[in-house]
Amino acid sequence: MLSRFRSQPLLTYVSVAATALGLSSCEMLEFSPNDHRSPDDKQALTQKNLTTLLAKPLPANDTLRFVYTGDSQRFYDDAEALVKSVNQQKGVQFMLVAGDISDFGLAREMWWVDDQLRKLTIPYLTVIGNHDQVGNGRKAYGEVFGPLNYSFVYGDTKFIMTDTNGREYNFNGRIPDMPWVRQQLQDNTVRRHVIISHVPPQDEDFDPAVRDAYVTALRADPRLVFEMNGHRHDFSIGQPFNDGVTYVNSYAFEKRQYLIVTMWGDKEFRLKKVPF
Amino acid sequence: MAPQFLLAAALACSPTAPDTAARPATPDSLITRSTGLEPLDKKPWYRPRHIVLQTGGGIGMVAAGVGYSLGKDKNELDILLGYVPTKYAGSSLSIVTAKYTYSPFVLPLGERWQIRPLTVGGYLSYTHGTVNDEEKGQYAKGYYWFSTDTRVGPVLGSRLAYRRRTPAGQPRNVAFYYELSSNDLYILSYVQNRKALSVGDILTLSLGLKADF
Repeated sequence: MLSRFRSQPLLTYVSVAATALGLSSCEMLEFSPNDHRSPDDKQALTQKNLTTLLAKPLPANDTLRFVYTGDSQRFYDDAEALVKSVNQQKGVQFMLVAGDISDFGLAREMWWVDDQLRKLTIPYLTVIGNHDQVGNGRKAYGEVFGPLNYSFVYGDTKFIMTDTNGREYNFNGRIPDMPWVRQQLQDNTVRRHVIISHVPPQDEDFDPAVRDAYVTALRADPRLVFEMNGHRHDFSIGQPFNDGVTYVNSYAFEKRQYLIVTMWGDKEFRLKKVPF
Repeated sequence: MAPQFLLAAALACSPTAPDTAARPATPDSLITRSTGLEPLDKKPWYRPRHIVLQTGGGIGMVAAGVGYSLGKDKNELDILLGYVPTKYAGSSLSIVTAKYTYSPFVLPLGERWQIRPLTVGGYLSYTHGTVNDEEKGQYAKGYYWFSTDTRVGPVLGSRLAYRRRTPAGQPRNVAFYYELSSNDLYILSYVQNRKALSVGDILTLSLGLKADF
């Protein structure tokens, strides 16, 4: 239908104006806020950023260093400031955003966050949050970023990214996907494991029916350095289940602070808070 | 544009046939024609004046409906039913929209054409069929402060009309319009992030046809 409209002078004018405003007429012809059709450079961002990251592999035994943050939702001005600050950090290899990329689960919001984060000099990776699942957000996240559960190995560390937003599934007993999580944790080819998700297991938005299974699986993993979350918008570190497993929570973008995580040895790590 | 134009025109024409047959041209209407004034349409108040077909604007890949003209045809209220297939939104969506517009200026463009350079207004829409719709008891009250289904937003656009008449001389214009619009959530995002977001980021475009009948 659009191609037929294109010959109209008025349409030419409108599409020129739209392009000048920064969007092509195709993206502007939004069918619904839940419409997740995205321009080429806003699709499969997880895969694209992983490709960028893995193009610069970290040699074995080298120190790993990454920026840890979360909850970028509707904090675009803060995102701009965060990018400027992170770009001044030396020796960081990538950035992790612990979910709630969007506030309303809309693809456009995910584009807006990427508009800022693609200015980083390092690649960034995300895990899905509860706000990213509002309405048809789960589909939008899948389109703009990628799988809701995925893992990657960088240097000596396997990063396991999983969906723990049980409330968004009406606590159906299947979130997080424990067979998948166990399979990932059983990978003994990598020296260290780090598991990252949005809702922490001690939170009331985590499915209570899956909590024990999750916490038990983590406790049983000898390679696990720590578990990391977002959702609470503020930094914390502790062992809420008193079982030797450390849980780290990220600052939200609005808190104008982020963490630099440094890891070496079997399970050695250091956290540095950086205000911006 | 032609097939859509024809479809709209065909739909617009068919209901007028019995109307004109039942009420043939009267001497009164002949007089008004000779003086160049528009003859009065004597239709019940509840009968819609035009049909609408639209794409985009956040209210459907295709949205169709009817509309009313008020206050010398400068105000219009359209009721639309929109559809978005699963492929584009993750689930099949039905969207009901009420849109009110005001077009203060009507400029003739030769004999057959007419331009309304400015249309301003707003809409209220309700979406049915989202994947993760709030189920009873899913969230505590106020967990998400915004509605996932109800949107409101402003529209701003222009319209180009082709002036047609029935055999009895009554106007039956067919108009093409475009509108730029936004919604409450996009506007809120922009207002709170004036540095990182631009107005262009929050705009959507709609293209539509309106045919009197």
